[in-house]
Amino acid sequence: VSERFSRFVLPFALVAAALAAWEAAARSGLWSKLLFPSLVNISREFVLFFSRPESLLEAWVSLTRALGGFALAAVVGVLIGMLMGRSKRVAEVLDPFFSGTYAVPKLALFPIFIFLFGIGSLSKVALVFLECLYPIVVMTYSGARNVNKVLLWSAQNMGASRAATLRRVVVPATAPFIFAGFRIAVPVAMIVVVITEMVSSADGLGYLVIYSLSSLRTDRMLAVVVVIAILGYLLDKAVVLARDRLIYWEKLDTYYV
Amino acid sequence: VGLAVLLVVLVVWQFAPLPDFILPPLQILKDFFQALGTAELYEHVWASLKRSLPGWVIGSALGATLGLAAGVARWFDRMFSPAVFLTYPVPKIVMLPIFMIWFGIGDLSKVLIIALACFYPVFINAYYGVRQTRTILVWSALNMGASRAEIFRRVVLPSAAPMILASLRVSLALSFIVMFAAEMINARSGLGHLTRMAENSLRFDLMYVALLAIAILGYAGDRLVRYANRRLLAWQEQPA
Repeated sequence: VSERFSRFVLPFALVAAALAAWEAAARSGLWSKLLFPSLVNISREFVLFFSRPESLLEAWVSLTRALGGFALAAVVGVLIGMLMGRSKRVAEVLDPFFSGTYAVPKLALFPIFIFLFGIGSLSKVALVFLECLYPIVVMTYSGARNVNKVLLWSAQNMGASRAATLRRVVVPATAPFIFAGFRIAVPVAMIVVVITEMVSSADGLGYLVIYSLSSLRTDRMLAVVVVIAILGYLLDKAVVLARDRLIYWEKLDTYYV
Repeated sequence: VGLAVLLVVLVVWQFAPLPDFILPPLQILKDFFQALGTAELYEHVWASLKRSLPGWVIGSALGATLGLAAGVARWFDRMFSPAVFLTYPVPKIVMLPIFMIWFGIGDLSKVLIIALACFYPVFINAYYGVRQTRTILVWSALNMGASRAEIFRRVVLPSAAPMILASLRVSLALSFIVMFAAEMINARSGLGHLTRMAENSLRFDLMYVALLAIAILGYAGDRLVRYANRRLLAWQEQPA
């Protein structure tokens, strides 16, 4: 296999084969149109999605819920993680709590949140906040805890105040970890928004998915799925872009999961 | 100190005036032990585990195998990895309706969606685990006349193992989330279904029983995976 073939053709081979197989299944007539709607229909619905103001509004609703919960979790999570990393006492109190409930699906709290915050956006934002909080706190904590001692000593030695040490040493050293936490949290935010909208909602993209399914418009449903996929992809790209601008001194080469 | 804070929170919770959908902790415990005596709870737990565990095993096994393959074989990497990384930030749960159409509304579609969600973190960690193998170790092995199979088994696999095992913890947590979500969206049994049913019929006691059950399952599963990690990686100096 030549190098050029392997570099430029192979990356598209699998995707192209999958799409071709899909279209073949759609046209073969072996399965109902509901099972495999043709790619032509899906793309038509995809274009229609962007020409309808009401579906764009649903996308906007989902996006604001995801971003709202994520932004809250980012602020609170970084604060808590920093405090835990820089103060033994805070860590002693909070670390057992966060590591003990880390693996528990917070989604199970959703029904209670509905009673607490109502069926609208607030209960969803609250759940997004809670699910995003964990990765951000855990990553920030592990970063802030492991700041290079030599750097801290040098800063103190050169007479830096506590505030200056925090701003010039601790925060830059922790920043890559914070962004690793953001990178985990952003897809989580999308997942939670879509799930909660699928379970109980009258708006948002998750609701559109369920609604299209129950009206047997699988082509429309798949178009919405593509929209959600693109949104998730763009949000992840935005985090990476922000990271590369802010943490220009460290290249991203490992993919934290 | 942590324990004292927890106690204070619990005491305040117990005695504070609360709306009736937030039960005091002692009441929750009482309901939970009562439910432990009935067969119903076990049926739901069993239904949930029957979906999440096979999904976790299938997804993780596939992820580890293909991730290792992509890390070792360049042609496979170039063919397969772009598709994986492109779809990684996509919430996999949106595929559930499609899976329901393809594979029916029974357990199969749920097991497969859980497997799909678990596949990604394990694949990515296995892939990077292989890529992080120190070249000097591979060279030494080559120098000592090791075959390709031997290098894979004795050098590449041990150096990727910590990352793969770490990702198993992530994927286990993920499998519970997706299981719960899938059951809330569409199921006739399982803890997610129980929660939803309790919510609709305003049976707050049942809601908390289901919540506590899933919390215990998640916590116990996490402890098990972490314990297995420590046992399997005993030769490692750093804790995983």
